[in-house]
Amino acid sequence: MTDTLDLPTKRQEEWRWSDMAALEAAAQSPAGEAPDADGWFIDGLDGPRLVFVDGEYQAGRSDAGPVTLEQLSADTDHPLGRRAAGAGWVLRVGEGGAKTCIQIVHLGSGGANHVPARIELAADATASIVETYAGTGWANRLTQIDLARGARLMRSVRLLQSGGFVSLRDEAEIGEAASLVSIVLGAGDMGSRIDGNLRLTGDGAFAEMGGALLTRDSQSQEAAVVVHHAKPEGSSRQIWRAVAADTSTASLAARVEVARDAQHTDGEQSLRGLLLKRSATVNLKPELEIFADDVKCAHGATVGELDKRALFYLESRGVAPARAQALLTRAFVADALDRIGEEAVREAFADNADRWLESAL
Amino acid sequence: MATKNAEALAAANKKYEWGFTSDVEQELAPKGLNEDTVRYISAKKGEPEWMLDWRLKAFAMWQEMVEPDWAKLDIPMVDYQNAYYYAEPKKKPSLKSLDELDPEIKRTYEKLGIPIEEQKVLAGVEGARKVAVDAVFDSVSVATTFRKELEEAGVIFLSISEAIKKHPDLVKKWLGKVVPTRDNFFACLNAAVFSDGTFVYVPEGVRCPMELSTYFRINAENTGQFERTLIVADKGAYVSYLEGCTAPMRDENQLHAAVVELVALDDAEIKYSTVQNWYPGDENGKGGIYNFVTKRALCQGRNSKVSWTQVETGSAITWKYPSCVLNGENSVGEFYSVAVTNGRQQADTGTKMIHNGKNSRSTIISKGISAGRSDNTYRGLVRVAPTAENVRNFTQCDSLLLGDTCGAHTVPYIEVKNPSAQIEHEATTSKISDDQLFYATSRGLDEEAAVALIVNGFAKEVLQQLPMEFAVEAQKLLGISLEGSVG
Repeated sequence: MTDTLDLPTKRQEEWRWSDMAALEAAAQSPAGEAPDADGWFIDGLDGPRLVFVDGEYQAGRSDAGPVTLEQLSADTDHPLGRRAAGAGWVLRVGEGGAKTCIQIVHLGSGGANHVPARIELAADATASIVETYAGTGWANRLTQIDLARGARLMRSVRLLQSGGFVSLRDEAEIGEAASLVSIVLGAGDMGSRIDGNLRLTGDGAFAEMGGALLTRDSQSQEAAVVVHHAKPEGSSRQIWRAVAADTSTASLAARVEVARDAQHTDGEQSLRGLLLKRSATVNLKPELEIFADDVKCAHGATVGELDKRALFYLESRGVAPARAQALLTRAFVADALDRIGEEAVREAFADNADRWLESAL
Repeated sequence: MATKNAEALAAANKKYEWGFTSDVEQELAPKGLNEDTVRYISAKKGEPEWMLDWRLKAFAMWQEMVEPDWAKLDIPMVDYQNAYYYAEPKKKPSLKSLDELDPEIKRTYEKLGIPIEEQKVLAGVEGARKVAVDAVFDSVSVATTFRKELEEAGVIFLSISEAIKKHPDLVKKWLGKVVPTRDNFFACLNAAVFSDGTFVYVPEGVRCPMELSTYFRINAENTGQFERTLIVADKGAYVSYLEGCTAPMRDENQLHAAVVELVALDDAEIKYSTVQNWYPGDENGKGGIYNFVTKRALCQGRNSKVSWTQVETGSAITWKYPSCVLNGENSVGEFYSVAVTNGRQQADTGTKMIHNGKNSRSTIISKGISAGRSDNTYRGLVRVAPTAENVRNFTQCDSLLLGDTCGAHTVPYIEVKNPSAQIEHEATTSKISDDQLFYATSRGLDEEAAVALIVNGFAKEVLQQLPMEFAVEAQKLLGISLEGSVG
């Protein structure tokens, strides 16, 4: 199947920073033994636990709870997302229901695996999901989210694969006064492409997608998120942090689209990059597309190194240079991860980021 | 029927103050584009062999290229075969002074509303402020003023076809060095069929004694205009160049694919200002100019500086990114832009700052104003090479929306490969507040004047960068371009 991959190329505007060669290599890597699932769940969280190995659901090692396993079609024209058709998981929560902290661990041993997913929350329902990617190979996911009036979804995803490639495609419809918060941490050694398309289709909806991409060696990680405001009074946040070491590349492209009717939209983008080495690259594209005349859309983008004065201050207080650097970098990344709601999840994510920083700095 | 058309035309002409055509007999190249057209143009200009070869090579390359489509623009298909590639006003005996200029052409300049200072210069009024005008009427430079004074200073200010004959070495050295032939589809087409343009060379240590200026004017129906401008500022030289354009009204879309190349060597400075007011098409977007221009500056030397200032109010579609390649240590690139779109106009414009030199700095100030049913996009790139230490960039792009049927878009690309770089980007999108309008109208201004005033304030940072003569015209233009956009 690999010779019919037909991937997007750098000549396509939306893919100009993508490393599709890494994806191809991951897809062609031979399958081996997947790592053990146990270490990848976050302790102290009750709730259902699901394990997928190379895209296949492991009934014996899982407690699916409200999550069902179904055959899903890939109803999208996204070049990677549309490959994810077949057996996948579905979470449906009825009106006013609450399903918290569903943990899903995806383990890969090599080769390509595709899993579609669907999350449907009825009016005023709430749910939270934590997904963890470990192992290697190409993990390709399509997640379609539908939030009815007043529904709330907290989604946290961490990419901790030791190699290979992870591609995520999220497509969400966010109804009236509903809220979606999606936080992604890329702290493994795989390549990645995180694609998001969040549509605010009801008045006063809230959408947030952000996170931190930490890259080292010759790794390349990338996020490309579009938030589309179709209705008035909506707000959106895109807070991304990129830290690039060695010869790696971290790329962030975030776009806010405001349709004609979407007056009083409040959009915010904050893209910041930190370069740890001369040979690393950070690419940023904070994009605005505005058709309504009474909106507030702010975007900020900066790239650079750590503030020399802050470093000096810490050193003058007796903090060793390496530690001072780690502290400041940690604070830099924390901006994006602080948005995670559950404390245990937030701490686990911060831990993963810390471990990455310790080894990279 | 005929009267109806005439009436309609008259009514349409009224709306576009500068929409008129003057009857000057034209010599046209046969319609269509093939190798013979390229040879015809080259022969017509009496070009040397090497120039023809260069053109033919470009033409062969162009045939292999595909028209780009990545911009946020809706471009109707351009039929490259259904256009004339060369038009020249009928030969009159060679001119000794401006008084001998074809009166038709002279009247055209008057109607153009060339800044008063320059009109005086054209009319030969004594004591007028010195501005050298190299007027491009359709495709051939018909008059060049102040040549003598410039010659004394050692400045070469010629039409490019003359320069090819008189200074082949200089032209050969730099032509196509900043914008290579294969750079992009439209630059490549320009290389094959460029009709005329301007060549400026300012020698070492010379401060050009006056501001140089060219008026571009598209006149003949169906004539694509392919200007080629090359400005070289040698070590320590300074030159300020003004470019202004208006075009008569036409029904069919006209393609303008110019190439502008600037080269600044050690300690040199070039200031390039543009006011563009070509025909934007009628309210349904019919007609109007396609302005697909490649403008690029090479800051090759240490401490060199290039500053682009543009006021874009015309054209149906504007698609250009005046850029700076900052190779020199401590080199500086600046980009100040006001782009106004009204009616059905579309603009996708911005800049690229490519930082290769140590301590190079750049500033980008972009003001986009959209009204009517128009789309206005800022697209910019700031790139920092791994070897470029201590690069600084500041980017600010502000958009102003007048009405709720237009669009404002911001697409900044930032690509950084050196940690010592400091890159800042700021952007805002806003509308004219009711408070501002109320205040201005309560002081006795009508709504249109109030909007013009507020818009001029919004664009002030850019307008300030323009040379005096242009600043006045540009302010007027902003007001005129936005007429009918409020209320």
